[in-house]
Amino acid sequence: MAYFRDEQEVYDHIGRLFQDLMRDQELLPKFQRANTIVQYAFRDPESCITVKMLEGEDPQVDLGPTDLTPEVTMSMDADTAHRFWLGKVNVTVALARGQMKAKGPVAKILKLVPLVKPVFPRYRAQLEAAGRSDLVQAA
Amino acid sequence: MEAGAAAGEFAGPQMAGFKDFYQFLAPTRVVAGRGLLDGIGFEFAKEGAKRVLIVTDEVIRDMGLVDRVASGLEDGGVEPAGVYDRVPQDSDSAAVVEAAEAGHDRGANAILAVGGGSVMDTAKAAAVIFTHGGEPREWEGYYGLPREDDGLGRPLDLAPLACIPTTAGTGSEVSFAAVIKDRDERIKFQIADFPMYPRLAMLDPESTRTLPPHIAAATGMDAMTHAIEGHVSAEWNPHASAYALQALRLIRDNLERAVTDPADEDARGNMLIAANLAIMPTASAAIGITHSLSHPCGARYDVPHGVANAINLPWVIEFNATGGEPIADRYREISQVLGLEVGGSGEQVGHALAEHVRGLVRRLGLPGRLSDVGVPEDGIPALVEGAEGDGCTLVNPREPTAEDFARLYRSAL
Repeated sequence: MAYFRDEQEVYDHIGRLFQDLMRDQELLPKFQRANTIVQYAFRDPESCITVKMLEGEDPQVDLGPTDLTPEVTMSMDADTAHRFWLGKVNVTVALARGQMKAKGPVAKILKLVPLVKPVFPRYRAQLEAAGRSDLVQAA
Repeated sequence: MEAGAAAGEFAGPQMAGFKDFYQFLAPTRVVAGRGLLDGIGFEFAKEGAKRVLIVTDEVIRDMGLVDRVASGLEDGGVEPAGVYDRVPQDSDSAAVVEAAEAGHDRGANAILAVGGGSVMDTAKAAAVIFTHGGEPREWEGYYGLPREDDGLGRPLDLAPLACIPTTAGTGSEVSFAAVIKDRDERIKFQIADFPMYPRLAMLDPESTRTLPPHIAAATGMDAMTHAIEGHVSAEWNPHASAYALQALRLIRDNLERAVTDPADEDARGNMLIAANLAIMPTASAAIGITHSLSHPCGARYDVPHGVANAINLPWVIEFNATGGEPIADRYREISQVLGLEVGGSGEQVGHALAEHVRGLVRRLGLPGRLSDVGVPEDGIPALVEGAEGDGCTLVNPREPTAEDFARLYRSAL
């Protein structure tokens, strides 16, 4: 069974994390060096998060339908995304196994992977603060 | 939870022991030996080829090799549909589209690459466009080709594709990626997915008979880099290492011979095999940051890939070897194959191996410095940015920072 009941839960947790990251004055400039718009297209439950991190522009996180045109699309189960943010997914292996699929100039996103490692405890803490320790334990 | 997914946190590279997970595949049928070129039609017909577009470059065509291959197709009952010979030194999107269009215009059902890495990558990307349409950049990425079952099932086949490599280095004839240059953006991008494995690779030393020594040297160092990085990568695994270490034995015994005596058919043949084996670890994403450093050098300053690897490899060895004993142990295994000292600290082992590589590069007559091949010091910040974003960086056994990359570039300058 999928970790998230519906798309709203995806937005409440993973979406909120992205919104939080785009407000982080220390991390934001590093993310904006990617200078791209990335869309995370999740399955099970179907959901979509689009993140604009362009140099010199305000960041934007759209949960669900968006007017932004993504340059990079990362497709995966919402479960895989959840486990990634808990620090339990090796991106290389996930790509090799087809658990993650990457379309577009993927290098722009891959170089962010080392940057997000310090974020893993933050996601865990965010879930626990929201009373969703069950999601931490389930993964 | 997915089968095979470890329950615990992903704690970083697992450099020893039984791996939590790896995947290895080698789906390309390889035929190797002497006098094979005349039988290309016989072999390619078994892969479904009926009417074949030959993709090559003007240099190869002028040598007469293409005529011989076309004749070999006909002898095997396969019809040559024509020749696309406009592949540039660094494959680009325009050549990919032109080759795919040539295939359609001439009624081909299959593509045969006769050339080096650029030609083979053009043919592989052209097979994607020929089969699925679109523009090359639309297919940029990993595992993004169309699949059954709404994108989750078996990947759809591409038109039959075969490769006859005319250099011994890239191993592109048995890999599933194509690196293409976007000349407007001055970047190289990658299309990679399982159907891009060629169905057939033919390794015949006749195809490298006229290979200039400096290209034999550079491409040979590319193969050596694949083998060393494949054995030491965070994604190392026993399958990959079996190929990598055997490739190193062949490189040890044949690379200098093939460069100094181009008439040595055994050495040339063995280097074709070595390059073919050396690329196999990339099936498991086993590679490293020598490639991360070298890719931007090629994209921004047109440094030939093998030359960039030859220059960057020893610095990376020294950087990685001090990243912990498990990493140093993997370099010790390489040193043992190459007959070098394996005792001492990681730093000592790394330095000895790096010095061995530098000596080999000198004997092969290759440049030893990035500044020798047109890389300026003020280009380093942009190169670092490229290296950080390179897919190979994620699988290096030691995680480099931007400062590490800058230091490596400065050292190699």
